[in-house]
Amino acid sequence: MKKRILVSAAATFLVLVLVLAISSISVKDAQAIPAWARKYQTSCSTCHYAFPMLNGFGKAFENNGYRYPGGDENYRKEEPTSLGSESYKKVWPDAIWPADIPGLPPLAIHAIGRINYEPDADVKSSFELPHELEILYGGTIGETVSFFGEVEIENEDNEIEFAFPFFLQWDFNPRWHIRVGNVSPDPTPTHMRLTRNHYNVASFRSRNRVRLRDEHSGIEFWGAGNGAGGRGGYRFQLGVVNGQGRNDVNSEKDIYGRVTYKIGGLGEIGGTEGQESETAEFYVDNNLRLGGFFYIGTATQNDVDEDFQIFGGDVDFWWNRLILNGAVLYMNSELPGTPDRQSLVWYGQGNYVIYPWLIGLARFEFTDSNLDIDVPEAQKSLIPGLTFVARANVRFTLEYFIPLDDPSKDADLFVMQAQFGF
Amino acid sequence: MKARSLFLVVLMLCYPLTSMAGTIKGKVTAKGARDASDVVVFIDEVADGFKPPKEHAKMDQKNLTFIPHVLPIIQGTIVDYLNSDDVLHNVFTPDKCAEKFNLGTWPKGETRSYTFKERGCVSVMLCNVHPEMEAWIVVLQNPYFFKTDKDGVFTIENVPAGKYTLRVWHKKLKGEPQEIEVPETGDITVDFVIKK
Repeated sequence: MKKRILVSAAATFLVLVLVLAISSISVKDAQAIPAWARKYQTSCSTCHYAFPMLNGFGKAFENNGYRYPGGDENYRKEEPTSLGSESYKKVWPDAIWPADIPGLPPLAIHAIGRINYEPDADVKSSFELPHELEILYGGTIGETVSFFGEVEIENEDNEIEFAFPFFLQWDFNPRWHIRVGNVSPDPTPTHMRLTRNHYNVASFRSRNRVRLRDEHSGIEFWGAGNGAGGRGGYRFQLGVVNGQGRNDVNSEKDIYGRVTYKIGGLGEIGGTEGQESETAEFYVDNNLRLGGFFYIGTATQNDVDEDFQIFGGDVDFWWNRLILNGAVLYMNSELPGTPDRQSLVWYGQGNYVIYPWLIGLARFEFTDSNLDIDVPEAQKSLIPGLTFVARANVRFTLEYFIPLDDPSKDADLFVMQAQFGF
Repeated sequence: MKARSLFLVVLMLCYPLTSMAGTIKGKVTAKGARDASDVVVFIDEVADGFKPPKEHAKMDQKNLTFIPHVLPIIQGTIVDYLNSDDVLHNVFTPDKCAEKFNLGTWPKGETRSYTFKERGCVSVMLCNVHPEMEAWIVVLQNPYFFKTDKDGVFTIENVPAGKYTLRVWHKKLKGEPQEIEVPETGDITVDFVIKK
């Protein structure tokens, strides 16, 4: 009996060590990348509305653990390298479980350059070329494991930032995945953003500087499934993260969750059941998606713990060429020796496909960091823009950040951003 | 004895028919393409009218590919498009001669159809969901055509004797039409070189 307990404890310890070792490394937002275009010999627009923003199929691909719905083997054009024949499954546990890896290194490059113009700044214009270079990699290992990561080099006010996040994911089936490494409590993931500016709900910081779009190291359980008749469906995420840093700065773990339900449109995990229409465009996926999320955490700065709670919801409506979406976030912050602070942050946005290669967009953002006081006043801004997909893998964005509140009225920013991937 | 007489009578009746049809043989050499596959060799016009076949022609969408890549048909043929994949597909053409049709999307295992009415129409088939997918439908006047494999060798059998214009079609390369005379019996050999 004692021996069994010891073996069990040792196994648990080993699993924990493995999980912690892997979770010490993290990745930002999972994107579809040209490595997959090569693997399936398919165009970017199979998965992207306009890269990196995903369309309905791109989300279904992600929800299947970066695999085609219904099985990958018929669609990939590049044969994987076997790491053991299928028959070795019969031999386990006396042999290593067989798997395969991508036949060619699943690498891709994403480069971003910017031309910035700030009419009211001392230095009005700058060629931020390049702004960022990402070496992305992603793929599958056998039938039930996938991975995604990047090495990122970014200019931040003439300082070079370097990051190397990744995650490893067990895809038991589309309804049930475990992700270890970088996980994403961000309720507005990359698939919704075409702009240079991040969403305010993702960038809003607690008083001790935590924000949802930061890289979060931890473990996430998530899954997705189709709704009735194969249309729409659900997606959920439940995760535990450090909250700050790859080595946690406090003994508390942060938890978060998110659930969405999609009404109509392509099934969350794909398939063709119930999908019949008289026309088809890669950017059309008529549906309404409603979501809710929370994040409860502790942020530490100068040995002072801030306990904070975030609750919010979002709506995403796609109708032919039009997309309307928005998200609202409420945060309560408790910092010893100070009154509690309540914040409200929200945005509303519209995209319209003028041509499949030309998309107009506009976003209004509202950020009231303290609902109990009027000074400083809430920040409001308008971000109109135009994105031009010159090639399936080359995109330009013209974007104007217009502050509407008095304190930030001189922070206008006009940006032309160029992005390409291969 | 009776049977032998009957056989001889049938043979004599058939003789004029078979003797008036020849075979066109040849080879297409493609300069500027990986191989000589998917070249359509066809007789431009034959005097008799030809009805489209009752059986529908088929084009499959399987593993993110149109199969076949090139489909020659007779004017008036109905083509059934099958979705064999677990993903959504679409079929449309931007070509006017096929009325710029767009068949929408449909589930796996089901088909949608289109009738190609205009002779001489060469229309490209595209999928709005997968831009890399491409196929061609070549609408011809008569059934005397052949689609080549990689080796470029072609054989058009049972062609009524007479003078014709023999043409080739390839999605990228071009070849000069040739005036030919199909003999009442036997073969005629015609070779083509197609290039940009």
